[in-house]
Amino acid sequence: MVLGLLAFWLVSAPRPLPASAVPAHTANAANGQLLYNAGGCKSCHKPNPDVAGLDSSLPSGGAPFKTPIGTLYPPNLTPDIETGIGAWSDIEFVNAVQRGISKDSQHLIPAFPYTSYARMPVADVLDIRAYLMSLPPVASPKRDAGVPLAFILRRGLGLWKWISLDTTAWMPDTTQSEGWNRGSYLVNGPGHCGECHTPRNLFMASDTSRFLMGGPHPEGVGKVPSLHKLIESKRYKDAADLVLAFQNGESFGYEHMSAGGMGQVQSNLAKLPQGDLEAIAYYLTSFK
Amino acid sequence: MLSSKLLKSLTAGVLVVGLGVTLAYAAADDQIKARQTEMKANGKAMGALAAIMKGEAPYDAAVVKASLDAMAAADAAAGEAKAWDASSMEGATIETWAKPEIWAEGSQVGAKYQAWVDARTALAATTDEAGFKAAFPALGASCGGCHEMYRKPKG
Repeated sequence: MVLGLLAFWLVSAPRPLPASAVPAHTANAANGQLLYNAGGCKSCHKPNPDVAGLDSSLPSGGAPFKTPIGTLYPPNLTPDIETGIGAWSDIEFVNAVQRGISKDSQHLIPAFPYTSYARMPVADVLDIRAYLMSLPPVASPKRDAGVPLAFILRRGLGLWKWISLDTTAWMPDTTQSEGWNRGSYLVNGPGHCGECHTPRNLFMASDTSRFLMGGPHPEGVGKVPSLHKLIESKRYKDAADLVLAFQNGESFGYEHMSAGGMGQVQSNLAKLPQGDLEAIAYYLTSFK
Repeated sequence: MLSSKLLKSLTAGVLVVGLGVTLAYAAADDQIKARQTEMKANGKAMGALAAIMKGEAPYDAAVVKASLDAMAAADAAAGEAKAWDASSMEGATIETWAKPEIWAEGSQVGAKYQAWVDARTALAATTDEAGFKAAFPALGASCGGCHEMYRKPKG
């Protein structure tokens, strides 16, 4: 029993990256902005709707995010010193985004898709930080999650991460084209498409054997579509048609692009450069 | 021990209520089917319009008018069939993709519906390709406005 508890305690402990994991890097805020849009950070970290006068274009956090385990309030990503990320160091930011560990060494609930972001090069994460630091600071205090037994849950998450958090970095497939690999990176890393489009196994970890094959909707109602055979199933005519869908969503009649939160994803994707959307479409339509 | 008269009354009561519930559910099935018929017709009309928007089909004022008329007819038929009444929230034998939030307090479905009607009116007022292409996205977005909020993701 004591050994079991000890094992649990050890296995479930946060395992942050050391400060030495931060490379010498000249941050590129423009690349950070692109990745911020690819990740759709703002869709979850949007301003608290109960506070009047907040700039809706800034990720000041505090809006409710409903999950089956309770309501979460994604935090403030603006560089406010007191309530945002203004006082966070590079390594603190990297550990939150890529290892799901907060500034005060708590496990973060994986509604925050760090399991995907863990695949990104640290330099790209630093670029996102540089972009966020360039935004105007907004004072928006943290709101505690409405989750029962939060303390035990958070520690237990360590066990889940031990099983589910694969920290293997994304690697290009050298047999594929540059465009395919760019699409693969955006889909698997910042875009975190698999968090919803790949079903989960018994441990609630992504079932990689059914990669992007769709499954139950994470909010508990309805289904998420498979991203295989997008052309063969006649959902899209070709990759160019899918690019138009990313850019315009249902305003061009692409009705699959709006339900279950995809409308917000699409509005974020619409901000990406044409070439990146073509890469994503090329990559996705390669799944037969 | 219950008297046989009371027992009979109770049984009859249960039967009547049961029949009522069954009828209500059967009615809901018909309403849901009417809703799905409406959406199918709207989808078909949108397909023809979107093809013009995307340049897959030439601009044709007659096609635009026919598509908008088809949508107006689908809207009217759905109203006739009470396809959007609260009684259609849950079917007996068929599944609906409409979220119950449509009929909950504070629902914005009325405003979303009006946005669709207004967008149709605006598109109907256009007379050339440029006008059509400027007005069509608002119509598509009005469909999306409701779908995103009130349609269950169906995979």
